[in-house]
Amino acid sequence: MKLSAIKPISRVIVRELGTSALLLFGVSIVVFAIIYLAPGDPFSAMLEDPSPGANAASGIQQAVSVPRSWYGQYFTWFSKVLQGDLGTSTRTGLPVLPEVVRVGINTLYLTFGSLILTLLIAVPIAVHAAARGDTAGNTAATIVAYILSAVPVFWFGYIVVYIFIHKFGMFPLISGTAVNQEHAWLYFLVPIFVLGVASGTLSEMIRHLREELSRVLADDYIRTARAKGAAVWRHAIKEGFLIPVTEIMSAKIPFLIGGAVIVEQVFNWPGMGRMAWQAAQDRDFPVIMGIALLAAAIVRFGNLVQRIVFTAVNPRASKE
Amino acid sequence: MARRYTQTPGPIGEFSELPPWQRAAPLDLVYIGYGLLVVAMVLLSYVLGACGWLPDDPQQMNIGLLNAPPFTPGHILGTDFLGRDLQARLILGIQAYFLPGLLAVAISIVGGSMLGILAGYRGGWFDTVVTYFNNLLDSFPRLVLILLVIAVFKPDIYYIMVVVGITGMPVIANLIAGKISFLRQKNFIEAAHALGLPAHTVILKHILWYNCRALLVIQATLGMAEAILIETSLSYLGFGVQEPTPSWGNMVQAGANYFLQGNFWPSTAPALAILATILGFQLLGDGLNNALEHKRGE
Repeated sequence: MKLSAIKPISRVIVRELGTSALLLFGVSIVVFAIIYLAPGDPFSAMLEDPSPGANAASGIQQAVSVPRSWYGQYFTWFSKVLQGDLGTSTRTGLPVLPEVVRVGINTLYLTFGSLILTLLIAVPIAVHAAARGDTAGNTAATIVAYILSAVPVFWFGYIVVYIFIHKFGMFPLISGTAVNQEHAWLYFLVPIFVLGVASGTLSEMIRHLREELSRVLADDYIRTARAKGAAVWRHAIKEGFLIPVTEIMSAKIPFLIGGAVIVEQVFNWPGMGRMAWQAAQDRDFPVIMGIALLAAAIVRFGNLVQRIVFTAVNPRASKE
Repeated sequence: MARRYTQTPGPIGEFSELPPWQRAAPLDLVYIGYGLLVVAMVLLSYVLGACGWLPDDPQQMNIGLLNAPPFTPGHILGTDFLGRDLQARLILGIQAYFLPGLLAVAISIVGGSMLGILAGYRGGWFDTVVTYFNNLLDSFPRLVLILLVIAVFKPDIYYIMVVVGITGMPVIANLIAGKISFLRQKNFIEAAHALGLPAHTVILKHILWYNCRALLVIQATLGMAEAILIETSLSYLGFGVQEPTPSWGNMVQAGANYFLQGNFWPSTAPALAILATILGFQLLGDGLNNALEHKRGE
């Protein structure tokens, strides 16, 4: 089969999968390098003698059959990671991968829910501003978005808890851990609202969408469409809307996962961010390594989806 | 005398002889004005804090005057849960992020510029490697990477700001590489080479100074906003500056315990300080971007 017979989209998927795999390999090296540079080594910790000799340390190293060289250690660790074995938490003794995946689901609810909320706020403002230019209304909305983006999300969380839960009793006051309670899902909406409004991505999102849409609306083909009386939106939606929206979504996923660390702390939400915080407190290396790997995998996946949408919308891209 | 041109996004580079402040939209001037005001106040407060010229002793407790509201006599911004003067603590809190933030910004600017020049000016194989490196750094949620570093080393603000600086490099590298390819399209770099200028003159003077100066200033202000956000978030999480040394983040956290009793102020005062400061740096960056780089959609 000739290469050109393959549809561009599948070729792009293969290429992007390759890139993602290469990047995740790099991610694993970075994570391992940081752990490798850690002061002290895990072997001395296994000895009771507080200042073990070099002999004792290397003895225990042999006893637990860990390679001595850094690349040996890396490949031992990496081959385990590939088999889905991220080690066990030094605090709870539980295997890391199932634990991180279990709480990771909660973080995904939180990040994607808030991403959608941010879009619901940002898109109308951006579209209106791109179509109509600066009006008093959208200038005001943009300034409000700037202010909301600068609000510290941890403080905003307390304000929302106070107003909606404490003052008006609009949502059940429970922690995310008590999910079996009646109407407990309502409580999920509160952190999603907080992160969606105050994650600091709102103004940037409006700005990006507006810039891209204005640029496309000023293009020649839109002018042609307008001249012949066709629906401008049908022509502009792909390049002016779909591409920028997927772009900004994929670009903001890492930022939202970071924001989730804080929001989960405020709301006692049983997610990956809270687990990362706990692991950093306890110096629980396997857990924080697992979370870093998984978070990077989520980011790469978002990027992969964005690239595929981009190519599907704009077939020229596959020829690059 | 060297003439400086301002780039416009039009297909044919058009130049305006008007100075930037006459071309800028009024709203952008408001943004920039507010931003400069915030920068001036942060600088002034930093100097006051560094020299110890505070309105009150930031550690002096006053058990008779806990969680006092603003405009209490003697404490113009009120007191916190231990009766300590909030105004003095807010001013002193700037020490927690000012120098570390500058370090992060410096790392981003220097590292990002070098990567951007490697990718844009050398191109080819370097471009591929730099792109890979940028994508690699962008794969990590910044806060997760910082928590990893905290777990492994220690919760030291300078370690954290090195991470912030390194993870801030890709944005600047991409912008500079993009700028260089723009200049190439205009045969600008070719012309400089034709004049027989050595590579370092072209890079430092013609590319970085004449054409990327505005961009770097903009990115520095935006970088400072991010550094403040990270520092306050981490000290909220308990990894930054520890009590009794004040930081805006740990002040919000400490005050939050009294929130449900209706004592908003001790937590809200530092939160408003964070809001006003981050807003100032962001508006300054975006306003400059609109005014100097013509980014406002027209």
